[in-house]
Amino acid sequence: MDMNIDDPLDFEFEDELLKPAPVINNNKRKKLIGLDDLVEDHYREQNKLLEKQTKHTKSKAKKNKRSYDDEDRKEALLTRIVEKCHNQLKAFGEEEEIPTWGVQVFGDKKAFPPLHLPDFGSCNLLQSFLNNKLNSVVGLSAEKGDIFLEGLLINGWLLKLAFLCGHVEEPIAIWAFNTMLYSPKEELQNFSTEFWCVILSSRKEVDQLPVKIDWFPEYTDLRRALDLYGFLFKFSSNVGPINLDSDTEGPPQNIRAWVRFVTACCVIRSKKPIFSTLEAEEVVEIIISLFLDRQFQGLMVLLNDCMQAIINYFTDEEWCLSCEKIAKFIACRVSKDLNCIQAVECLSEADSRFKQLRSSVAYQILLSCFEGVNCGEEILRSLIAVNFKDKSCDFLKMYIYLVLTENWVLSNSLIEDNPVIYEMFSLYLRHCSNLISATDLRSYASKVRHRAAYLVHFSVQK
Amino acid sequence: MDPWREHHCEEIGRFIFCDNMLAMLDAFDSQDAVDDWIAFLDAVRASSIAFEHAKRPSSKIFGTVFHVLRTGKSLELIMASHKLLVDLEKHFPRVHLSGSDDSQPSSNSPSKLVVAEEAWSPIIFCQDNVTAAGEAGDKECGRPLDPSSFQLLIEELAGILTETQFESSNLKPLQNMLLFQYLVIALEGDFLPRNATMNWNMQRESLLNMLLGSRKTIYKGLVKDCMKVICQLSQFQNELNKYAEFKKSSESQSPKYRQTALFLALPEVVKNTCVSMEKLLVMIMGLDFSKKKADIEGHTIRADGTRTPAMDIILDELAYSEDVVPLFLQIFTEPKWKLEIVVQYLWKYITKPSVRTRKTSGSTYDSTFHGALRCFSNKTGTKGIIKKMGADVVQFLLAHGFQAQLSILAEENRYDNHAGDQEGRANALSDLCQMFISAFDSLRSTNQHMEILPIGKEALFTAATVISMKS
Repeated sequence: MDMNIDDPLDFEFEDELLKPAPVINNNKRKKLIGLDDLVEDHYREQNKLLEKQTKHTKSKAKKNKRSYDDEDRKEALLTRIVEKCHNQLKAFGEEEEIPTWGVQVFGDKKAFPPLHLPDFGSCNLLQSFLNNKLNSVVGLSAEKGDIFLEGLLINGWLLKLAFLCGHVEEPIAIWAFNTMLYSPKEELQNFSTEFWCVILSSRKEVDQLPVKIDWFPEYTDLRRALDLYGFLFKFSSNVGPINLDSDTEGPPQNIRAWVRFVTACCVIRSKKPIFSTLEAEEVVEIIISLFLDRQFQGLMVLLNDCMQAIINYFTDEEWCLSCEKIAKFIACRVSKDLNCIQAVECLSEADSRFKQLRSSVAYQILLSCFEGVNCGEEILRSLIAVNFKDKSCDFLKMYIYLVLTENWVLSNSLIEDNPVIYEMFSLYLRHCSNLISATDLRSYASKVRHRAAYLVHFSVQK
Repeated sequence: MDPWREHHCEEIGRFIFCDNMLAMLDAFDSQDAVDDWIAFLDAVRASSIAFEHAKRPSSKIFGTVFHVLRTGKSLELIMASHKLLVDLEKHFPRVHLSGSDDSQPSSNSPSKLVVAEEAWSPIIFCQDNVTAAGEAGDKECGRPLDPSSFQLLIEELAGILTETQFESSNLKPLQNMLLFQYLVIALEGDFLPRNATMNWNMQRESLLNMLLGSRKTIYKGLVKDCMKVICQLSQFQNELNKYAEFKKSSESQSPKYRQTALFLALPEVVKNTCVSMEKLLVMIMGLDFSKKKADIEGHTIRADGTRTPAMDIILDELAYSEDVVPLFLQIFTEPKWKLEIVVQYLWKYITKPSVRTRKTSGSTYDSTFHGALRCFSNKTGTKGIIKKMGADVVQFLLAHGFQAQLSILAEENRYDNHAGDQEGRANALSDLCQMFISAFDSLRSTNQHMEILPIGKEALFTAATVISMKS
């Protein structure tokens, strides 16, 4: 490192980790016309008016020294006006209650099955040790079998043994599977998940697992677990308002193990296909619905990995059909509020299948938003026809349409070759960015304008 | 051609900032502001990662995303910014070997190190950068960390359980852990390709080496804190259910779903933090190793200075407090270094007159795990070791060392399928198991009432099973 002697030494700069958020740039703030400023202006105007009128009345009163009643009446009138303004302003402020996405996809938990302990007699791994002379030290017995097995699992021996023996017996496989999905203990959950996932994802042979596993779960086993966690398979965000503060406890921690296990299952299709196409479609739908539940905000990475794996589980032929089926399913389930944006945006843009699904979901939702519309051009035509000056124009809806259209058009590689759609889309964006007044204070009006302007700037520039 | 692909991230930044779409930088609190920030992060992602030929975002954009990670007040924002930074890191590596992405890896030309000098880095050293960054943004938290802030971060992580950190709505611990994970990924992306060159001139300039060598870093304390973090976090994992009850009982203002979201995310983040911490320690030990090698070959210069190897600090820490041994060894799983730690620990206490010669390159005795196991063959020697280390610690070390050695042997087995070698390796495995069992026999012979720990029993079970497999 070359350093100038006059320069301060590196420890003379302090960057305190815990420094509170910095004071914001004043220049930037000045450029903003905030709600506060507007309110302030309004008050100022009102005050001026009031002062003027009071002066006026007072001077009048001085001149005439006549009717106190008159003054009282005027004062009362003014008070009323001021009160009215005040109330209006208050209401204006309250209107800023912002809608948010979120669907409750978990209801009440059901009773978990008792953890299935391996049938000691049929478990050769444990059984064969009983006659070993070392058992005088280890003290393994049929009664203590499960505790011993837990130790083997947590300290990593079980996984080592699986690879060294190249074999996992049925009772062990079942026990590890149930422990993973139903044990309330974090450690056991973690290590049983690792046990399964490491074995499944170990890549040595192309078409064969490196370890012979005597028992494999089926999709129904996974579905059952989800059901016991309280997952609402028939969820629909259309039904009633979302209760974000409900008293249901939320999914158990095991859901993480569930997601991870499903992810691991997807990568071994060539060795052991666990899901049928229909089942895989359902898994995609389930993961999207988990994305819609705010309780899963912290597990984005996990869900994303799972989505990636399951989407690539399909063969190319399967995917063509499945992608549209999934999109239609989501479109009829998800409500036409901010949730449908979340349903689209939870699909990352990592690869072409993701983009395809993203575009189809957005398209299907748009189709279901406009009655009697059955192609893309018609959607855009209806959108272009919207009159933003109309008092009843619902800008939240406009915002949702804009985001959906953006995703439908821009995530779809086929549309690039369709100049008609592309031109209409550009026109629509220019409409949004030019025809909505900057002073339109209705909520979401500015969001639509900004977003469209941003898109125009980047997607229409030649 | 889609013009959408043509634009630069810089423009997004300018566009968005100028247009005040992001409102004010400190206004994280309202859902509205959160939505705007999410839109910003999405726009950065869309323009940089989603397309094949996209460019690296500008430093200002990087700084802004970093700022969101460090100061965001909602789980959604913290998670999204963390993921974006990690993805950017993978997408636009600061350092890479030129040979690695060639279509023909078989070509024998030595791979060259390609360094994107101007690229934004979350850790900085020279003050030139400091002032530049300071001018560019008025936002402190968007600035890269300097070595002392890195140290402070680790210290905070080390104190994670001592304070009432895991309150139901406190995002700070989570934020710190994610920040740390990101920093480790950045350090790793910089260090691994440099270390692969086997050239000290490259290795010297790695962020990691500069971080550890900085005058602002109290290096010993850093390594100790790293170990403390591992122990604290593994304890947290074990006691998670306790926190669950705490969560239920606490009366919090924040909506219930937020608590559940945090509660679902924490164990995942804690687990990944443990993995990151292990990676960091492994990297430091790898750096020490490279440095020692360069030293022997005469490539180091005086400015490189001297540093106690991390291994020595770890060993001191383990010896100093016995409670740390089981916790640390349970989390630290990388077999090669784990075995090294166990073997060196054991050899510290196995009486050998030639110990002093260990520091020289040619060791005069069998300083392997097998060699250590052999020292347990006679009763007197075993007694001596137990007296110095305590019976429990001996058991922990032997069991964990045995496991690491098993992993290494099994790994060799898996990658080598020659029929002849196969048998040789199977013999090596059962020999190891046999030696391990005898060492434990000898251990027990010193004291009839010695309690064998669960992990010792499990190790014996494994050894016996492997032996019976062969017969």
